Amino acid sequence: MQRALVGSVAPVLASIIAATLGSTIAPRAAAADDAVAPSGASSGSAGSSGGSSGADRGRSDPAPLDDVAGAVPRTPDTSIGRMFRGPFRSARLFAMPTTDVIGAYILTVSGEGSLLQKPGVLTSAGVLAIGFGDIAQLEYRHTEAIGITGLDAPVPAVGVQLKLPIPEYPNIPAFGVAFRLGVPRGELLEGKNVDETVTDLYLVGRLQLSVAPWLTLHGGTRISFAKAAPADPNLIAQRTLLLPTAGYEVAMNAWATIVGEIALAPQFEWMPAIQARPTIGRGLLGRLGMKWRILPSIALEGSIGYQVDDAVSPEGVEAIVSSWDIRLGAAVFVPWGALACRAVGVFCNERAGARR
Amino acid sequence: MKHASNAILAAVLGTAAIARAQPAPGDRPKPDGASGDPRGGPAPGPQSPYGPDPGQPGQPAQPGQPAQPGQPIQPGQPVQVVQQPDGSVELTPAPPPAPRPPRVHKMRFPEVLNTPTGWLLPAGVLYSRDRIDTGGGVSSDNRVGLGDVAEFGVSTTDQVRERQTDSTKERAEVLQPYVTASFRLGVDENRLFKGQPGVTLGFRKSFEREHLGSRTRIAELTLVASKHLGPDVAIHLGGSVWDASLQENADAAMPPDPITLHGQGFARQLRAFGGFEARPLPRSEILVDLSWAPEFCYGCASAAGGPSGAMGAIRLRPELAWGVRYQVASFMHIESGVRVPDIGNANLLDAQIFGQITFTSFALSDAVETLK
Repeated sequence: MQRALVGSVAPVLASIIAATLGSTIAPRAAAADDAVAPSGASSGSAGSSGGSSGADRGRSDPAPLDDVAGAVPRTPDTSIGRMFRGPFRSARLFAMPTTDVIGAYILTVSGEGSLLQKPGVLTSAGVLAIGFGDIAQLEYRHTEAIGITGLDAPVPAVGVQLKLPIPEYPNIPAFGVAFRLGVPRGELLEGKNVDETVTDLYLVGRLQLSVAPWLTLHGGTRISFAKAAPADPNLIAQRTLLLPTAGYEVAMNAWATIVGEIALAPQFEWMPAIQARPTIGRGLLGRLGMKWRILPSIALEGSIGYQVDDAVSPEGVEAIVSSWDIRLGAAVFVPWGALACRAVGVFCNERAGARR
Repeated sequence: MKHASNAILAAVLGTAAIARAQPAPGDRPKPDGASGDPRGGPAPGPQSPYGPDPGQPGQPAQPGQPAQPGQPIQPGQPVQVVQQPDGSVELTPAPPPAPRPPRVHKMRFPEVLNTPTGWLLPAGVLYSRDRIDTGGGVSSDNRVGLGDVAEFGVSTTDQVRERQTDSTKERAEVLQPYVTASFRLGVDENRLFKGQPGVTLGFRKSFEREHLGSRTRIAELTLVASKHLGPDVAIHLGGSVWDASLQENADAAMPPDPITLHGQGFARQLRAFGGFEARPLPRSEILVDLSWAPEFCYGCASAAGGPSGAMGAIRLRPELAWGVRYQVASFMHIESGVRVPDIGNANLLDAQIFGQITFTSFALSDAVETLK
């Protein structure tokens, strides 16, 4: 009896010893596994495959939320190369926020440009985000809105994005909230300046089905408070809009995903010759493209964009020359907490990145 | 808006259906197989004719070979648990990982001669093609493969033409350089199931070009499928939705509204194209393709006026091209052949002989793979 018990328990203990020894003396192998875990650019997949994070977290020992398995290790002896192997998560599709956040002690800088939307001009948009506590991130970004000149031009905003800290299970959606406080953007139309401001509240969900782990569905609603303010205060127009938004990610391989996104966006309209004041309506935006993790800490994005701008031209999808464009972008993840730990010994946490 | 919803819904459903057969991610990308199949696993290592070396106790294990019990565990070496028959266990050094086999670079061209194919450049591969022809045309096409699922490129094309009148006696002139950007997204051949053709959705759009006081732009949306019929023969079939705009007297104080191709009806935008390629010799291919190119007529719109006049201002002309591609080196191909700019006229006097050189580089791809 005792021999049988020892025989059954010994392999388990030995496995634990081996795992501990292996993770101690061969951290590079473990690190390499971690780098792959977040499934490349797929934020949705990252949330689930990158760690079974929520579910495991719900069952694991009490620990700071940023101490999840698979986080970038923050120890003084962590190499720079290991830090930039991640794992890193993306918190957005193209313009739509997802239920994920980039993670604690991580900073991301991303930007994109439209090559052809306005002839001869490179329109661009960017996001600067910093993660807090693995459930929130602060960001300065450009949000989507169609201006009075007919361009899907970015409107600056500052925001906070929250991931609801509830356990994650397969086939059960995850939820998040994002708030973006708009900063006025000036547009010049026939010599008249108009300040456009858009403040958004996103309620988004994410669903990954166990029967199709390569597919992640995203959906939500954008509650948008839009304001157009010409120089004459009597002409100010503002409106609250309920704007559905949806998207999907398809993991094509370990490093690349195909991403589709469709959303309604606020659309400012004003033709001073025939309109007494600006109006605010809805415009349709669509994107189909890909994200490619060229390196664990660098993601390249490319997409075909479609915009319907009824104010400028009543044309449909067949107006390819005026309604479609190509967008390119990139995102860089910086593990600033790990860098600070290595450089000056602050923000260190021996448990971050530990495998469970 | 209704058109938009239908199109986007179709795109969503189509992509979801295509991706249904995708394997779950989780593994690192595998290097090319021995056969050059990008999806293949590593090529089998060379086998000794004398069989595997059994190894000696105390000696390090060979790559990919199990270690012997009793070997000392070196710092940094992974370990494995070996259960003995009596129920006890022993920690032994795990075999060191086998060295990665060299990557096999396999290239499939994103274009036949003028038409796109259903194949994409591999991830990180740089592609550059430069061409001249006897009609004075010069073009350049530069692309990069993105993640094995997409590619981006910037090019100058010499296919866009212009004329001043609708006279049959007037010969259309090349409008160049005409700079375009392109983005293509797709699924590799045999990716979803055996026999599945390679499929790409492509979009190409030009920057605005001003010439003789007129501003022009072109755009093209393509969907193309490519299929091998045996190892050395392939066909390409696709459809494209063209669009173009022409604004004459663009510098005037009150310029007229642009004339667009989409304003003339969807049927005038839609065109079919295709190509064929065969490899009769290991390094040589025969290529044939049928493509379309826009032609602007500056005087046609104002002559008739109104929508009927606009009908002649922008036309799509069919082009036929055939030629040979020869592989000079693994990174360089040269192509030469004949291009007939407007086969509708059946005038071989307009035919041009072209020569082009194509360079491909896997340096970025290899560097990225090494860094990962």
